[in-house]
Amino acid sequence: MTGKQLVTAAMQRRPVERVPWVPFVGCHGGALINVSARDYLTNRQHIENGIRAAIRSYRPDGIPVAFDLQIEAEILGCNLVWADENPPAVASHPLAEGKSLQDLHIPLPSEGRLPIMLGAAQTIRAEFPDIALYGAVTGPFTLAMHLAGTDLFMHMYEDPEAVQRLIDFCRDVCMAITKYYSDAGCDVIAVVDPLTSQISEEQFRQFVAGPAAEIFRHIKKLKRLGSFFVCGHARHIIQAMAECKPDNVSIDENIPLDYVRDICARQGISFGGNLQLTITLLLGDETDAQRNAMECLQIAGNTGFILAPGCDLPYATPPANLKAVTNLLHNPYQQQVIITLEKQPSAEAVPDMSDYGVADKVIIDIITLDSESCAPCQYMVEAVKQVAPHFEAIVEWHEHKIKHQESIQFMTALMVKNIPTICIDGKITFVSRIPGKQELIQAIQNRINEKLYHKIRIRKGSVFILGRTSEEILKLRPEVDKAIRELGADVPVVEITDNKEIASFGVSRTPAIVTAIYKIRSEAKIPPALLIKEWVKDLL
Amino acid sequence: MDEIIVKLAICIERGKTNKTSPYPPDLREQDGADELAKQAIEAGIDANRILGACMQGMQSIGEKFAKNEAFVPELLMSAKAMNAVMVHLKPFFQSGSVQRKGKFIIGTVAGDLHDIGKKLVSMVVEGNGWEVIDLGVDVSTDKYLAAIAQHPNAIVGMSALLTTTMVNMEKSIQAIKAKYPATKVLVGGAPLTQDFANKIHADGYAPDPQAAVKLLNSYVA
Repeated sequence: MTGKQLVTAAMQRRPVERVPWVPFVGCHGGALINVSARDYLTNRQHIENGIRAAIRSYRPDGIPVAFDLQIEAEILGCNLVWADENPPAVASHPLAEGKSLQDLHIPLPSEGRLPIMLGAAQTIRAEFPDIALYGAVTGPFTLAMHLAGTDLFMHMYEDPEAVQRLIDFCRDVCMAITKYYSDAGCDVIAVVDPLTSQISEEQFRQFVAGPAAEIFRHIKKLKRLGSFFVCGHARHIIQAMAECKPDNVSIDENIPLDYVRDICARQGISFGGNLQLTITLLLGDETDAQRNAMECLQIAGNTGFILAPGCDLPYATPPANLKAVTNLLHNPYQQQVIITLEKQPSAEAVPDMSDYGVADKVIIDIITLDSESCAPCQYMVEAVKQVAPHFEAIVEWHEHKIKHQESIQFMTALMVKNIPTICIDGKITFVSRIPGKQELIQAIQNRINEKLYHKIRIRKGSVFILGRTSEEILKLRPEVDKAIRELGADVPVVEITDNKEIASFGVSRTPAIVTAIYKIRSEAKIPPALLIKEWVKDLL
Repeated sequence: MDEIIVKLAICIERGKTNKTSPYPPDLREQDGADELAKQAIEAGIDANRILGACMQGMQSIGEKFAKNEAFVPELLMSAKAMNAVMVHLKPFFQSGSVQRKGKFIIGTVAGDLHDIGKKLVSMVVEGNGWEVIDLGVDVSTDKYLAAIAQHPNAIVGMSALLTTTMVNMEKSIQAIKAKYPATKVLVGGAPLTQDFANKIHADGYAPDPQAAVKLLNSYVA
């Protein structure tokens, strides 16, 4: 299925082979092509390039043309204040500053920044026919607030008829913009009305539900799909929103996904969301993003769900986090990894591996989901199996299937985050990439060389001269000293004459020479048995 | 006498500003906060009790707001009713016969123009008996510092709606703490969390106006 087919099927609650992914790239597109939010949202080419970059990086099934709820307001006379890393903010409200509703008009497609958005929509539509294209329009209540300012809240009580007239006008604006985006080739019209979260369900039904339902009927007539977007604490209006009969309700992390899932299922419509914008996507890392996405997938299930951020992506969202979400969606193995890693061991259960891999042998650990059920894991294990005989008796390898708790502890201790991964002597060496034979041989050889060098450098040894009489010792001593001198070595010589001590070396006849090599394996700590075992192996 | 106070608290909670205001419909044609405050003063009721009625009304609506039983419009209507009372109480504040709990400096941080959240907090805090110094939106660190210099014992509140401006809070807090280590700073706003507030070393995080009131009151208790 193409992305567009996936989004369409999900919106219609039909079966899908995979949950579709729609990253709401608005001003974030500017960050992707290194221009400010202002430059981005005022330039058609920038928007086109930003969307191209987002499609390349995030492999989305659907994408919005832009995410800017100030386009209509700007045409209708609101002053905007621009920022480098945010969409513009409305700074003045014409209806609060002397203008009346009669002074306002339905925007034409040639006005304000509409030609930029509609032009970009046409270009992207032609270039990417298989991606669902979203046109984001400002919802009637949010637009009314832009036009009238926050006094609108009080006018809802003091002059409800006037407020209704204003919201009805905003509905007409919304329907006109919907038609423009539809004509430009958008498949989905997102009616974005975040400020409805600030009113009661009763007021939503009184002022907004009627106009919204009319907008979604209009979208259906245009043979497009309609999505109703809200953000913030809007749990109390989800039922009323769903009753407006959009094809989809999209929410952010402030509303539990299962709550919306159940309401939408009863209404026979789809739902979307609700990746955490700030804590996870903006401030978290790739693992956080994958965990959050997996959580959404698990709660939402496969029917009628679109995975998306809660709202417009922050400008500076690290692309790696969004790519991690893409990777998770396209890679069922990674989904299993994330599910398994949810069973994170407690900090105490994670062994200290700082001294891991100091035995004589080179240890190769392959962290897998399970080489029998995960193809990439299987190939990685086979790659190691093939190379290991070249280093017989020097290399020892183990597969750690993270289905087992101790393997998760091991993986956590080595700070491995992706599956499959090869660690050589505890060091992450190949991540999610199966190395070629020569490459792997080289990596192992490098480690052997490193160890050899280290061994030469850190060994401490002693020569013991064992004699029952001082005569025996004196006979041997000059020969030992000569040998050490000629080698230029720095080795202490210890003379032992005590019978018990001589016997403890296993020596029965004297004079005798015993050499010993000491290695400091750990200091001022208690190493786990797992490590001590490796050291003991060197003695066998 | 007590009847006026009870009615006044109800008018504040339900957002009935004056007799002519149509809201709420079931109180139509009845005296509102404006008339009742006037009557209370004329009846010689202690201005502190009148302020107490405001606090009670604002607290009730603030608690409902925190529980998602009331929303922004209702809160704004209550605040409007409360403001009508404050006009009558102004001379008593000036003479010192009514004492406020303390001073609260509030502003939306640099780069952020969003007003509504801050406005709501200001109104509920003021209704709870605090003097509010509202610095407006897009408030620079210098502006906060200047306000603290002018009102040395004030508690500071910072609001942000944007993910990009919430990071400016940290800079402002650092500067304030460097110069005025004893000054308490509270933060709030849609994208914020307690974790973030801890990270930027704010003294408190208020997810809603009533939570801000609770924090403030805890500092003067």
